[in-house]
Amino acid sequence: MSGSTGPIILEGVYFDGQSSRDQPATLTVDGQTVTLSVAAGAGLGLPGTLPLVHRWPARLLGVEAPIPGVRRAVTLPGGGRFETRDDAGVSAWERASGRNRALSGVRALESRPWAALAALGVSLAALALFVIYGIPAVARQAAFATPRSVLATFDRETIDFLEEGEYFGPSKLSAARQTQLRTEFRKVAAWAGGGYPYRLLLRDGEAGGLNEMGANAFALPGGTVVMTDQLVELAKSDRELMGVLAHETGHVTGRHGLAGVYQALGLTLVTTVITGDIVSAGTFAAAVPAALLRGGYSRAAETQADEVSGAYMLKTYGTTRPLQTMLGRLEQDEEEAGDSSEDSGPSIFDLISTHPGTPERIAHLKRIEAEGKLTPKR
Amino acid sequence: MTDPAATSADTPPLGRHGQPRHPDTVQAQALPATVTEYPVAFTGTAGEYFRLWIVNVALTFVTLGLYLPWARVRNRQYFFGHTWVDGQNFEYRANPAALLRGYLIVAALFVAYAVSGQFDSTQWVAVVLALIYAAAYPLLVRQSMRFQAVNTVHRGLRFRFHGTTGGAYVAYMLANVVASVSAGLALPWAWFMQRRYQVDGLAFGSARAGFRGDVGPFYLIGLTALGLSLAGGLLIGVPLVALIFFVVRGASGNLDPSALDALGLASSVTFLAALIVGYVGVLLLYVVAWQYIRGATMAYVLNNVELGGVVRTRATFSPWRLVWITVTNAAARVLTLGLASPWAAVRQTRYILGGVTVRAIAPLDDFAAGVGGETSAFGEAATELLDIQVGF
Repeated sequence: MSGSTGPIILEGVYFDGQSSRDQPATLTVDGQTVTLSVAAGAGLGLPGTLPLVHRWPARLLGVEAPIPGVRRAVTLPGGGRFETRDDAGVSAWERASGRNRALSGVRALESRPWAALAALGVSLAALALFVIYGIPAVARQAAFATPRSVLATFDRETIDFLEEGEYFGPSKLSAARQTQLRTEFRKVAAWAGGGYPYRLLLRDGEAGGLNEMGANAFALPGGTVVMTDQLVELAKSDRELMGVLAHETGHVTGRHGLAGVYQALGLTLVTTVITGDIVSAGTFAAAVPAALLRGGYSRAAETQADEVSGAYMLKTYGTTRPLQTMLGRLEQDEEEAGDSSEDSGPSIFDLISTHPGTPERIAHLKRIEAEGKLTPKR
Repeated sequence: MTDPAATSADTPPLGRHGQPRHPDTVQAQALPATVTEYPVAFTGTAGEYFRLWIVNVALTFVTLGLYLPWARVRNRQYFFGHTWVDGQNFEYRANPAALLRGYLIVAALFVAYAVSGQFDSTQWVAVVLALIYAAAYPLLVRQSMRFQAVNTVHRGLRFRFHGTTGGAYVAYMLANVVASVSAGLALPWAWFMQRRYQVDGLAFGSARAGFRGDVGPFYLIGLTALGLSLAGGLLIGVPLVALIFFVVRGASGNLDPSALDALGLASSVTFLAALIVGYVGVLLLYVVAWQYIRGATMAYVLNNVELGGVVRTRATFSPWRLVWITVTNAAARVLTLGLASPWAAVRQTRYILGGVTVRAIAPLDDFAAGVGGETSAFGEAATELLDIQVGF
């Protein structure tokens, strides 16, 4: 694109790079030759300000990228600089010689109000996409890339921590019952696969400690599944328990525990980058949205684990009903313990909770049964 | 130099040679030598800068962060380019491609640090990285100072930073260690050492800068901030304690601590509200105290800089007004989810530079070039990401 008609003449200031003296000068760009001429007497007769004319091939000169409202600078061979307010002239030279294409484009965007609005939209959309899809995807990859030895260590450390913190005590179930449960769990574990060293730990969730957890079951990344006596007592049949345990193996094979760790880390990093600070009012303000997002990630993991459990139950019992009744009973049990919201309808607390609402989960399990999903989405 | 900022001048003041002179340029005859005053002018506007900022933020997102160095450099170039002294503006010339390398290294190290800190089995990696960072911190500061200086151009000449590695270790490691073992008693001395290191190492062309300040005023600044914190703490603390006292009394009818129902107290709305007010108050107090220290230090340093024996600067902005601007800026940033950042930056810069004057007993066009080499962008990237407060 060379629509240049005649030379481009730029009026400005010349600095020789040896002193801070500014001298009015003219820079003439004529095709491939650039001429700098400093007028006589420009330096008011001071030494070192003789009239001078310099000629260079245009390719030896550098044109600094444009910034809105700032005068343009041309770097000359030998450390000199030429500064001019003639933005139109310098832009014409840039276009003719193909310099600063990318940054001239950026400057063009910066000077248009509609581009600012579009940039605002793009930024918000990119941030949302990154938080909703990017972080979970990266966290998932990181979780699957974590070596198994780390998983085993993680399990061991977590169990030690929970025992020291009096979250549970030794199980009070009879040895025969424990063996029975372990045998049944082996079937679930064999179905779940993935080469994890699955083991079922039975513990008393009401051993009188400080942080007792009551009726509960959870999985650790390395394949350790913990179930409390209270949950076993709550169940009307072992099918219900196996439904719960299959759900937990879904967390193991999906590496949800580790992914959660990485997601929290990713959110922390994003918050740090956005607020530019580890501890600031901004970080404090960002804590609430971060908590909401963590809850969202966690609910997605629960839904995925329910899919796994549903598939196992369809294959083994032909129905997902045992887990549905178990979920209902768990919620009742919690309500009696008095730490759950009264209404069972959707509420603002569903946003903050780490599990989807029980009604949704039961509906989801019913859907799985209706569709007869034998292979969970992994 | 940090991001400069300043007065409203719709058209930049022009220098000599038939161009209109800035009206505020006065010849003062107070000293034996003729002192010429050049007000610093800032011509950036919030609207123009917002457009630049948001476009660069969007490009950074779209390129998954790879454009970040270009965005940083453009933002800084905007502030430098709109800062004028005697008809000439400042320029920032950092090479974004060089910065990108450093950014990537630092980002990788930071992620390694954060991830390895998550697991007990890999904790040692995080500890080693933290130790390396602590040991290299003064080096990074020096590197960053050099990088910023050599990439700042005014009147065709580069600034330089001549501070030595040894000096950096004294100012940024020894002084900080002494400050912490002396329970903060030596903290103002550490500030003094750091500022002196920064200013004494600075040069414009071949002219060296010098710091004429003393330790005393730093102690005065520190004591003022301490007094402010204590007074504010009392103002927040006493009513809070009194309130708890009354709530407890109202709840149990007597002051027997064993009758205190912790749950009832925690769920009392008045108590919770008081707690939130107290928390926000303490946070505010902390911010105010530190911002006062920053503002007052900046003013003191600017009043005690000398360049080549012929140039001095004077700061007439008020540290308290600067605190007010910083706090309201932070509130605006939080309430607009960061969208007010450009406006806030321009507002703060405008106020600070509006109160800065360059005073010279020789013409500003008499400086000569010095010799300097290239500097690596690594220190700059490290300090950017890890947010070390260097500069004024």
